[in-house]
Amino acid sequence: MKKLSMPAKIYLIIVFVILYAPIFYLIYYSFNSGGSMHDFESFTLEHYRAVFEDSRLLVILINTVIIALLSGLISTIIGTLGAIGIFSIKRRNIRNILLSLNNILIVSPDVVIGASFLILFTMIGVKLGFASVLISHIAFSIPIVVLMVLPKLLEMNPNLIDAAQDLGATRRDVLYRVIIPYIKPGIFAGFFMALTYSLDDFAVTFFVTGNGFSTLSVEIYSIARVGISLTINALSGIIFVVTVLIVIGYYFVTRRTKFANGGIGRL
Amino acid sequence: MKSLINLSIAILLVCAGLYFIAEKLEPSGGKGSKDTITIYNWGDYIDPKLLKKFTKETGIKVIYETFDSNEAMLTKIQQGGTTYDIAVPSEYTIEMMIEKDLLYPIDHSKIPNLKYIDPYYLDLPFDPGNKYSIPYFWGTVGIVFNPNLLSKPLTFESWNDLWDPSLKNKVFLVDSAREVMGMSLNSMGESLNAKDDKLLQKATEKLIKLSPNIKGVIGDEIIPMMENNEAAVAITWSGSAADMMAENEELDYAVPKEGSNLWFDNFVIPKTAKNIEGAHKFINFMLDPENAAQNAEYVGYSTPNKAALKLMDPEIANDERFYPPEEIKNRLEVYENLGLEWLGKYNEYFLEFKMSIK
Repeated sequence: MKKLSMPAKIYLIIVFVILYAPIFYLIYYSFNSGGSMHDFESFTLEHYRAVFEDSRLLVILINTVIIALLSGLISTIIGTLGAIGIFSIKRRNIRNILLSLNNILIVSPDVVIGASFLILFTMIGVKLGFASVLISHIAFSIPIVVLMVLPKLLEMNPNLIDAAQDLGATRRDVLYRVIIPYIKPGIFAGFFMALTYSLDDFAVTFFVTGNGFSTLSVEIYSIARVGISLTINALSGIIFVVTVLIVIGYYFVTRRTKFANGGIGRL
Repeated sequence: MKSLINLSIAILLVCAGLYFIAEKLEPSGGKGSKDTITIYNWGDYIDPKLLKKFTKETGIKVIYETFDSNEAMLTKIQQGGTTYDIAVPSEYTIEMMIEKDLLYPIDHSKIPNLKYIDPYYLDLPFDPGNKYSIPYFWGTVGIVFNPNLLSKPLTFESWNDLWDPSLKNKVFLVDSAREVMGMSLNSMGESLNAKDDKLLQKATEKLIKLSPNIKGVIGDEIIPMMENNEAAVAITWSGSAADMMAENEELDYAVPKEGSNLWFDNFVIPKTAKNIEGAHKFINFMLDPENAAQNAEYVGYSTPNKAALKLMDPEIANDERFYPPEEIKNRLEVYENLGLEWLGKYNEYFLEFKMSIK
């Protein structure tokens, strides 16, 4: 790799500072004993203690994580199958139409999706709560998974499938032993994208929460009405650290699969 | 393939584990059943200890959820799909909910503690006879100011102090047509429910003269901004003022003598409620003087419970800024439902004023 020139380095540093400064500002004040976002008085962990003492907030945090994991998992399964389905359609027109329909869901505003889910759920009589939030999160994550998996399928050498079939593999074997291992990095990417989308979604969730079930983004919004308390800072700090850990984990997972792929590529 | 399946199982196990922890922390119980009630309240608007006490006394579990605006709450209840047993809307929303037939009439015989509520706060135009709602907290619209940031010692005993030239670019207004138009009408000694085009025009003209003093017309951000001394003066609700004063001790609050708005947040039982018996019990529990006093000290808003006032710290209970004396109280007015046409006019005039701010 070529070494970066001096202006390029400075530019890069400035960009990263702008991107990360607000987060570090927030975390910095989570240690403030003064109780507000100005005038740092002295170091304290009391706000972190407050997070762990507020059982309602913890339950909401856990709910958020459960929703993110489950919706990520289910939407990854459905989305991967969908991507394989779109991939296997030979007629170009139909494939493009399906892809566009998929993309429309990604670009359409969250508010519209959320409002339409609310209307749908109340019409068919689904009680707002865990199920409604889970279903809507799965729904808005599927198109993203499709979009992450499809390029992997397209870059796969079609001869691989032919070769497998020549060697006597059934269609099932081809799917399980050739296609899925090849697109695994795409599946992982899709899962992690779905996870983050679900974790930080506000607009859709706002419409479909109810009956005592809430997620973190909606709850923080309700609390912020009377000014952000530093407990939220502390909570955000914890989430930020966890996110960094997930990203590091993701990095190691993908590095491993990349090596594995290298092996397949050489075959 | 195998690793993917393993990973999926691992995720499911993690979810199960987390669910187990959540159940341990706060058992949810059977939702909408006889032994739980679901409460839908503003964020940070109740002492959480009281919820635990209620469960202990009655055995009814409380599921607590918060909202951030009357409109959001109204949508959730109107759409259905929810089973809130108790909600706490403001008075104009209660009026709308009664009109839309969303509320369950309250059985006063099940709320003996109603006798502790000061009759001054009962039987008001938005809910005659308190058929559908029971007062929870009330407040006024007034002026928050920081005496240290004023170049001239104003007391804000009159709304007209706001027009003082020394306040150039120092005033925040809350972004709400009825509050601001009402303030201008009050300053001229008129009713804030005025339905007279000429009067409204005059009020707007008066407001436009105020525009050099306006620093901003903002929403809930007004609270952190006043705490951080971004401006010297703000017009806002007494509840927000109490929040600000808790954070920034330099601030003071005044309700001008010309009169102002009297607002309420009341308990209601939505039609969608599943545990109406429990909802009555909860309302009665919250009206108990001891509980009401504890709650009022936690939340910092004004309680309508006269027996609770006697139990409270006299410094709070005798604070004339939040419990104004009789002569000011007599000039407070509750917003009347103006009807769509006049509400539209208020909004138009307010917009005209906002456009004059540079």
